[in-house]
Amino acid sequence: MLAFLREHPAAPHYRNQSGNRLLAPEIETLRAFELEVAEAAVGWPPAGHPSWLEEYVKRVFEDVPHFRRLGSPPKRFGDIPAITRADLAADIARFVPDSVPIDRLINFRTTGTTGHPLLIASHPLVAGRYLAFHKRALRRFGIELRHGQGQVGVVLLGFQKKCFTYVSVTPVMNESGLAKINLHPGDWRHPDDRASYLDALQPEIIAGDPISFAELLTLPMTARPRALLSVGMMLSTGMRQALEQHFACPVLDLYSMNEVGPIGVFDATLNGHLLLQNRLYVEILDAEGHPVPAGERGEITFSGGFNFCLPLLRYRSGDHAKLVWTPEGPVLRELSGRRPVRFRTRHGAWINNIDVTHALASLPLPQYGLHQNADGSLALRLAPQAMPLAKRAAELLRPLLGATPRIIEAVAAGDKILQYTSDLDQALA
Amino acid sequence: MNQSGPHLETLLRRLADIPPDFLDEPRIGQNGQVFVPALVNDLLSHLGERAPLAVLERFQAKNGLADRNRLMLTMIVAWLLADDWFVAAHPPQADCVRLLDDAARELAQASAARKYVDDPERREELARLALARLGYRPAGETAAQATDRLSALSVSERRRLLAASRAAEARARAIREELARKQAEASADKWTRE
Repeated sequence: MLAFLREHPAAPHYRNQSGNRLLAPEIETLRAFELEVAEAAVGWPPAGHPSWLEEYVKRVFEDVPHFRRLGSPPKRFGDIPAITRADLAADIARFVPDSVPIDRLINFRTTGTTGHPLLIASHPLVAGRYLAFHKRALRRFGIELRHGQGQVGVVLLGFQKKCFTYVSVTPVMNESGLAKINLHPGDWRHPDDRASYLDALQPEIIAGDPISFAELLTLPMTARPRALLSVGMMLSTGMRQALEQHFACPVLDLYSMNEVGPIGVFDATLNGHLLLQNRLYVEILDAEGHPVPAGERGEITFSGGFNFCLPLLRYRSGDHAKLVWTPEGPVLRELSGRRPVRFRTRHGAWINNIDVTHALASLPLPQYGLHQNADGSLALRLAPQAMPLAKRAAELLRPLLGATPRIIEAVAAGDKILQYTSDLDQALA
Repeated sequence: MNQSGPHLETLLRRLADIPPDFLDEPRIGQNGQVFVPALVNDLLSHLGERAPLAVLERFQAKNGLADRNRLMLTMIVAWLLADDWFVAAHPPQADCVRLLDDAARELAQASAARKYVDDPERREELARLALARLGYRPAGETAAQATDRLSALSVSERRRLLAASRAAEARARAIREELARKQAEASADKWTRE
């Protein structure tokens, strides 16, 4: 499989090497974990906590140096001091439990948009566990993975000038192929090879972000994956619909972050991201760190998770949403990255950035950013491939803001940007 | 330790029976229920005289979370000193303040506050230390016996602490080195990349 992926006449220049790094007994462990995740109920009583939480807190306060330093666990969960990305960035070693052997540690680097580059302590088993949550999400959309030996399970897409690319196999799927490729033409002998290669691989799943998917839409590939997994950035409704139409398959918008793994999958029937992890407790906190009343918007805060190298306890993610209960389980609604930003309309009223998201939702924009200058003028930043939609985007924003934003082509390939920013003092509500 | 104090068992029982309110969260910023300066003020009034504002300020959280364990220890010491025996003995306020502040700070560096209630050895260390810092020894013991016992408890705990602290530093260094050694994305396969 590896030779096929590397030596195909249309293959890209693979620049790196990686692997699953699993030991033989760990593969069975992973299979058992997948079964547990598939069957588990996700959630907790609306006014309560998950049953595992108390014991988990006790263990974290005993085993994790950062929390041990605080003394005894508080009697009330809400009194546990929250941590932020800045705490993890300051010294990740203090968050690794004493019971985790060091020799198998691996890391994932995340840059994000907050100015705190971060190395996440992880383990090959943790990386392998991602698939259990992807399968749970896919099952919701009627997809049971069926590929195996000799087939390609997943292709991970990037579209960046410089991108980490490699080939590997997935042991729990009987050594099916995995390829991480960069759609940027610079990584290929000929740009046309991109479609030829994807057609040759016939991957069951393609994973990527809205920017790489926007590029994928321009390729004349004929292979049809059974589903697309979108992670890393907000996927607009318009973009999702364009992809669904083009590939005639479900497009799963996964809310996922390096610190937590796959958290939720967007389900239009629930109008939000349905939580996926059975041992992850989610709170919504206000700016002072107190839980907001049920159904109100605030900062998404995590406890638990499946990364035993980085057990989270009240980790403030910087992302915002409402948490609501549905018969299917807890759902994050109106999810948006980072702190909410208000924009001042031409008439002096304030609108929330969620209104901007809604106004532009119908357009297949892979990524955009809206900035308000100190004089109140607005600038909408778009990716180059979205420039044909610039006029329509401006038209959609005009009734909302009372003004037409200046359009800038400023989102370079691979850039992650803060979506909403403002120079106005009152913008942070 | 020139004066004979109460029986040690009385103090150990008092620590073991601490009311849950004294184990609540100290107020730090917007969080927590117990405003420790007010608790200390009540105690010192109960022991004979109100405390000056400058003294009470020592019990405000100044270093955020780093003060949590110390203030929790202060609350436990306050419960211990509110015992009838100390009220009757009327120890000098300056000594009480040193116990509530300096001694609590020292003990907090060694263990979680709850351990001075839950763990029999730490409970005994706290009770003996409190008596010693106020110039008392447990009833029925000579000064030499009391000194030896406190020293044995403290020395073994300090040794354990020192070894644990060295081990923790070494481990944190090893983790940092290991993470730096394993190149970022080269680490292992994930089906999606955030």
